[in-house]
Amino acid sequence: MSNIVEARSLRKNYGNFTALDGVDLTIPSGAISGLIGPNGAGKTTTLKALIGLCDVDGELSVTGRDPRKARHKLMEDVCFIADVGILPKWLKVSQLIDYVEAVHPRFDRKKAEKFLSTTDIPSNKRIKELSKGMVTQLHLALVMSIEVQLLVLDEPTLGLDIIYRKEFYDRLLNDYYDGNRTIIISTHQVEEIETLLSHLLFINKGKIVLDTLMSELSQVYTEVLVDADKMAEADACGPIHVRELLGKKSYTFESVLKERLEVLGELQTPSVADLFVAKLKEDRHG
Amino acid sequence: MDRFKIVQFYALLRREVLEHRNLFIGAPAVVALLILVATFWVAMQIDETQLAEGLSYISVLFDGLSPFDMAPFFMLLAIPFMLTLYISSVIYLINTLFQDRKEMSILFWQSMPVSNLQTVLSKVFTIVIVAPIFYVLNIFAMYLIGMILLTILGVSNDVDLVGIGWMFLAAIASLVLIYFSALVTSLWLLPSIGWLLLFSAFAKKTPLLWAGGVFILVGFFEDFIFGTQYLADWVQSRAANPNQYLIFEFQSLLERIFNYETLFGIVVGSILITGAVYMRRFTD
Repeated sequence: MSNIVEARSLRKNYGNFTALDGVDLTIPSGAISGLIGPNGAGKTTTLKALIGLCDVDGELSVTGRDPRKARHKLMEDVCFIADVGILPKWLKVSQLIDYVEAVHPRFDRKKAEKFLSTTDIPSNKRIKELSKGMVTQLHLALVMSIEVQLLVLDEPTLGLDIIYRKEFYDRLLNDYYDGNRTIIISTHQVEEIETLLSHLLFINKGKIVLDTLMSELSQVYTEVLVDADKMAEADACGPIHVRELLGKKSYTFESVLKERLEVLGELQTPSVADLFVAKLKEDRHG
Repeated sequence: MDRFKIVQFYALLRREVLEHRNLFIGAPAVVALLILVATFWVAMQIDETQLAEGLSYISVLFDGLSPFDMAPFFMLLAIPFMLTLYISSVIYLINTLFQDRKEMSILFWQSMPVSNLQTVLSKVFTIVIVAPIFYVLNIFAMYLIGMILLTILGVSNDVDLVGIGWMFLAAIASLVLIYFSALVTSLWLLPSIGWLLLFSAFAKKTPLLWAGGVFILVGFFEDFIFGTQYLADWVQSRAANPNQYLIFEFQSLLERIFNYETLFGIVVGSILITGAVYMRRFTD
């Protein structure tokens, strides 16, 4: 599988604040990749760097191009949705579609109109008159009607209620993703996208702290709910994280043989949210 | 240039007009309305017999004269529109690369396959070529309404309307002069256009203050360090040259454009516009 994104040693400072501190990442073509991190971890800066909206140091290649050199050419192959508020509020829905049709060579107007016909979005309304959920639906309808290799989503469902959020990801998976396109999603709502992902990236303090395929997650990470009498034994296996759970302790291990762990209790693969907490605490405590 | 690039550029210009319709369509429409209302109010104060006599006099005055010779007469009526255009242009230029960064819609615009050069050029093209068209169309509408009112007045007072027809032709001819005046003025003021765009793309807050403040600072440092005032003198000589703001005859059009000072200004303006394109590259 070839990589659609390759980045080496990306660095970016905003004054004294280091937003990216040597980010290395590769994203395989056709993956649905989740970029997860706490506030200020460098998610948005990373995504903006990938589409040429942020000047960074380091090596960077997206769809074989350097985004810093020809953003407009890159954007023929890449679509981007940021926080819901970015569509120009003064435009009418129909004017927005006219604009995208005129400037994007790979936009299919009929497809966009078909998507919009399944929503309550009126074409004669200005964007400022639409609800947040409608604006997101509209933006998604636009990008789903553009034939691109890579879709970059930065907190696309921020501020939306659960119905819109679920519909957003359902549409993305059922109507857009075809196995060939690559999607990168950055979000706080890890649980909602966990089942969609095929590739996982954790970022913290401007560094990638985890870069793995979801299919490899279960081989590397193991969670065990350990009884009190086996805790000393579990501690000896070098857990990366331990948390209290209903009078027991849940241990998360990285690259420890399953045979060693089986005696401690029932093994399971940690959820992305639990692994995220574990890796961040590990990163914090060294 | 391929057809798609032309369609793309047309879409960029359409975007500018839609976003700034108040400046390019609303403002001249208000000026035209004010002039019409004021003229109508003045006409209401005059006795109808005297009004008919005045109309007859104007009709005789314009009868048979070349519209192109009489066109400059109507240039005076264009002055309020030209002033409005210049004020609108300053408001437009200082906000156009700032506003979308402020409201974050730049992330949408930049997510389209449109280069920063295309974007900035569309803004220059809008102010130099497109905005004057809307102003001229508004003036035309004003003349048309005025002419209809004069025709009604003339018909009801048995005034010979042939001269009024000639006057209308002169007014139409003046529209060409008005358009070229705006065009030449834009080229003459290209350094100002570039300067405003540069700070519109650069400033994180109050771009007008940046544009004015940096200019004053540069002039101050030139005076302080070198003891000269070349920058201030150059700007003053350009700003205070009324010949570059209105064209009264078609023959002078080319010499207004192709002279050393205008061409030098175009070079300086182009450098500043290039700076604005560079500033536009990154949103952070």
